[in-house]
Amino acid sequence: MQIPQDLIETAALKLKSVHSEAEFYQLRAEYLGKKSFVVNAFSKLRDLQSDKRVNVAKELNILKNNLTKLFETSLEEIEGKSDYKKLDVSLPAEPFLVGSEHPITKISQKIINYFTPLNYQIFSGNEIETDFYNFEALNFPENHPARQMHDTFYLNSSSKTEYLLRTHTSNTQVHAMLNEDLPLYMLSPGRVFRCDSDTTHLPMFTQIEGLVVDEDVTFGDLKGVLIDFLEDFFNEKMEVRFRPSYFPFTEPSAEVDIKFGKQGWLEILGCGMVHPNVLNGCNIDTKKFRGFAFGMGVERLAMLYYGVADIREFYSSNLEFLNQFLS
Amino acid sequence: MRIQYSYLKNFLNTNLSQKKLSDVFTQVGFECEIEGDLIEFDITPNRGDALSLRGLEREFYAYQSKKPSQKIETSSLKLSQDKKVINQIDGSGCGNYHLMLVKGLQKIKNLDSKKRSFLESAGIPLINPLVDLGNYVMLELGAPMHVFDLAKLTLPINVRFPQDKNNSVTVIGGDLKDVQQSSLTIQDQSGIQAIAGIIGSEASSVSLSTSSIAVEAAFFRPEVIVNQARKYGLATDASHRFERGVDPELQQPALERYLFLLDQIAKYDSVELYYSYSKKTKKKKVKLDVARFNKFSSLNLKTSKAILILKNLGFRLHAKSEKNITFNIPSHRFDISLEEDLYEELLRSYGYDNIPISKPKAGPITNNKRTNALGNLRLGLVHSGFKELMHMPFVSRGSFHQLNSNGWQPAELQNPINENEPLLRGSLFRSLFAAVNSNIKKGHMSIKVFEAGNVFKKEKNDFSQLLHFSGIVYHHEPPQTWSQRVLVYDFFSLKAEISKLLQTLGMQNIEFQKASSLAPFNENALDIYIGKQKIAVMGEIDLSVTEKLIKKQAYGFVIYPDKIPSSSVNPKIVKTSKFPLSTRDMNIVLNKSISYEEVKSLISLAGIKHLVSFNLIDIFEGKDIPKGFVSMTLRSTFQSKTKSLLESEINSSMQMMLKLLEKRLNAKIRS
Repeated sequence: MQIPQDLIETAALKLKSVHSEAEFYQLRAEYLGKKSFVVNAFSKLRDLQSDKRVNVAKELNILKNNLTKLFETSLEEIEGKSDYKKLDVSLPAEPFLVGSEHPITKISQKIINYFTPLNYQIFSGNEIETDFYNFEALNFPENHPARQMHDTFYLNSSSKTEYLLRTHTSNTQVHAMLNEDLPLYMLSPGRVFRCDSDTTHLPMFTQIEGLVVDEDVTFGDLKGVLIDFLEDFFNEKMEVRFRPSYFPFTEPSAEVDIKFGKQGWLEILGCGMVHPNVLNGCNIDTKKFRGFAFGMGVERLAMLYYGVADIREFYSSNLEFLNQFLS
Repeated sequence: MRIQYSYLKNFLNTNLSQKKLSDVFTQVGFECEIEGDLIEFDITPNRGDALSLRGLEREFYAYQSKKPSQKIETSSLKLSQDKKVINQIDGSGCGNYHLMLVKGLQKIKNLDSKKRSFLESAGIPLINPLVDLGNYVMLELGAPMHVFDLAKLTLPINVRFPQDKNNSVTVIGGDLKDVQQSSLTIQDQSGIQAIAGIIGSEASSVSLSTSSIAVEAAFFRPEVIVNQARKYGLATDASHRFERGVDPELQQPALERYLFLLDQIAKYDSVELYYSYSKKTKKKKVKLDVARFNKFSSLNLKTSKAILILKNLGFRLHAKSEKNITFNIPSHRFDISLEEDLYEELLRSYGYDNIPISKPKAGPITNNKRTNALGNLRLGLVHSGFKELMHMPFVSRGSFHQLNSNGWQPAELQNPINENEPLLRGSLFRSLFAAVNSNIKKGHMSIKVFEAGNVFKKEKNDFSQLLHFSGIVYHHEPPQTWSQRVLVYDFFSLKAEISKLLQTLGMQNIEFQKASSLAPFNENALDIYIGKQKIAVMGEIDLSVTEKLIKKQAYGFVIYPDKIPSSSVNPKIVKTSKFPLSTRDMNIVLNKSISYEEVKSLISLAGIKHLVSFNLIDIFEGKDIPKGFVSMTLRSTFQSKTKSLLESEINSSMQMMLKLLEKRLNAKIRS
C-alpha cells in the first residue's frame, strides 16, 4: 500500500481557501470521512502480511492524527474568521422589571370573561352617587332598618340632594334600567364603600353585580347561570346551595353557598329575582318583563381562589406579595 | 339573636341535634352559627317576627308541615278603657297601648335558674325579677315590655311627641338625654317617663322596694322607632324589635303570659288591664296567581299544595277564584304585601335547592368597547413592566392640596373613618409615593408601579369622578449589569415608553406640548395631545410635593383614558412605495433657546418634497460651539412614490430645509 506523501500538504493548501463551515465539513469528509483514503486504508490493512501490517498501521495512525489536528486547528481559525463572537449565552439578561395586573383586576376579569360571551354589557358607574340611585330606587325606603346593613359614607354638599359613596354597584343597574333598551343583560363591576374597618372588612372593596331583565326570566335561569359560572370560575364540579335571605331589591332573595374543602359551606354570593318595586320604579312593565340579579365580592373570591388569608394584603402595595400574581 | 340550644330544643319539642337544627333554620332563611351551647341566629331586617322562640317555632313547624303541639299557658284578663289610666295616644306613632297594673306585690322571688340562664346566654342582663320577667316574655313571644314602678307614676299616661323643644330625661342607668321632638314618648303628669320603644326613665324604674307595677305592652309604629335608638346611642333589644315591627295583636296575650309567670314568683293583691288604641290596623290581603308563580319559578306547583304551604305559615285563605287565591296575611308578617312576597314563602318552603335549573341564556349582541380599551391600556402598561397597585381613595387635606394644580374643590366626607383623611383623592400620586417609599424601605431598588382609579372633585352642585391611570418609575440606584453598560432611566426613556404604549394602542398621531399645569411634576413635564384633546401628562416628579416619601428623582405619568377619542372608522391602508428610502444628515448650529419642537414643527409643516420622516440623532454643546448655541444633527429620510430619487432631487429638498432653518430660526450649517 502506497501512502501519498503530500496528503497533509494538499489538505493544508485546500483548507486555506475554505471560507465557510459548510465548505470545511465537505473538505473534512474528503480527508477523514468514510470514503477517504485514510479510512479506506485502515480497512485494507487485513489484506497485508502481518509483518508489513504493523508498520503501515503505525504510519496510518500518525497520518490520521495529523490530519485530525490540522482540521481542528483550521476549524478554530474559521470560527475566528466569521463575524460573530462566541458568547457565554448563559450570562443573565440585562435587568428588567416584570409588570403584572393586580390580583383583584385578574379575578374581576376572570368573572367578566365568563359573562361577556353571554353578551352581558359592562357598566362601571359612579362611585359618588345620590341617595336615590343607591337606596331609594332599590326599594330601601328612608329610615328602613335595611339601610343599617350598609354603613354609608356621606359627602358634604351644599345641594339638597344627598350624596354618598355607593355601598354596592347596584346603583349602576338603576341607571342602566332607566336608560338602556330591554332586554338588558349587564354586569356592574367596581369599587364600593362601607364605613367600617376591621381585619375582615375594609372601607373599600370590589363588587361585581349582574342583572338580567328579559321576558320569561325564571328563578331556574338565575340558578343555572350562577352554578355554571361558579363551576367555570373554580374549574371543577361544585356543590352549590341556595338558601333564602333578604335584600330589599330582590324578592325572593337568596344567598349562595359553595362547599369549599375543609371549610365546609361558604357564603359566596347573593342573588334574587328583581323586586317589582324596583322594576316599576324604573318604568319597566312587570307584566311583560322580569329580572334577576346577583352580586359578589371580588376580594372574597380572590382570597378563596389564591388562598390569601388577610384581605388587607390586596391594598398593601407590597411588591413581594404582588410578584406572585404574574401569570 | 342568641338562643341556648338546650332551651330551644325543649321549646320546639324536638330531638334534632344542634347542628341539624341550625341547618334547618339556615335552609329556611335564618342563617345560624353555633357557638358552644348557643345558636346565633342572623335574622334579616324584614323578619322581626322571628325574633322570639314563638317566631322560630312557627317557622320550624311550617317547614315540617306540622302544627306546634304545645300551647303557651297564660292567665286571662279583662280589658278596660279608662282615661284616668291612659288618657291619650298619638295614633301616628302608636297603634295600641296596654298597661297592666299589678298592686300589692309581695314575696317576689327570682326567676327559676333555667330562665335566668336562658336570658343571660341571650345577652340580656338580669336586673330585677319583675324586669327580667318582661324580658323573658319578649324573648318567648316577641313583644317587648316595659315595667314601671306604679308608685312613682302620676297617672294618667299620655303617649305623644314632645310639644316643647327643650326636653330631657334621665334614663335607666343615669344618663341625661335630651329628648328630640321626633321621638315618641310616654308621659305621665310629671313629664317624660320613657322614650317609646327604647328606654324608660330612671325615676319610674322598679327597685327592690317596688310593690306595685305598671307593665307596658304596645304597638309602636316601626317608622317612628327606626333610627331613634341610634340617635340616643341606645340600641336596645326592645328598639331592635320595634323598628322591625312587633305584632300589633300580641300585646294582650303577652301581658297575660307575664301575669301567668308572675304568679309563679310573687304574690299580689290585684291586677287590672287597661288599653287604648288609635285605630285597628287593617288586615292585609294578598292575591296569588299560581300559574304566574309557576312561570316565575320554573316549577309546576299545584294550587292545593300552594294553599297548604301558606296555611302552614299562618296565612288564611280569604277567597278563591279561577285565576287567583286571596290570603289574609298574619298580623306579625310585616314583610308580606305583594304577590312576589308569597312566591318567596312558597319557594322557601319548597326548598330553593329543589328548583330545576336552566341553561344560561345569552343577551342581545353587545360590545364592551370601553372595558376592552381599558383592559388593553392596562395590559400595555403591564407589558412595559409596570405593576398594578390599588389603594383606598381617602387622603388628608394637606396631600390633596399639594397635588392639586388645577384648583379643584375637594369632595369631603361627613363621616370619614380616619379624621385625618376626610377628603377623596384628587390625584392617585399620594398612594403611589407611599407605595414607592414602603418598598424602598424594605430594600427594593427599582420600582415601576401604576394604579387605575377614579379621582374626585366637587362641582358647584354635585361631584364628578374622572378615571386616571397614573404610574411612577423610580430607581433607588441605577440598575447594575455585568455588561458594564449604564442602563439609563430618565425622562426620555419614559417618553419613549409612553409613546410606544400609546402608538401600540392605535394612537399614531400624538403630539407633545410643554405641560400647562404642573403638580406632581416639575417644569420638565409634557402634555400629550391627540388633536385638541389632552389625553395624558408625563414628567419628572417634583420632589417637594411627595411629603418626603420620595427623595431621589422619579418620573411619572397620568393617562386620561376617557379623553382618548375612540375611532369609529376603520383604518384605510394606502399603497406603499416600491422605491428605496434615502437618508441624509444635516448638522446645524442654533440658539439654545430654540427647542427641538420648534425645529420639528417648522420642517414637518413646510411640505418639503419627498420628505417622509425626520428625526434628531445628535445634540451637542461645548467645544467648537459658541456659548449659548447648540448643535443638532438632523436626519431626514426621502422617498418617492413613483421613482428612485436622483441625488439632485434629494439635494434640492435638503437645501430647502436648510434655507428654511436659516431664515426662520437663524440656524447655521455647521462646518
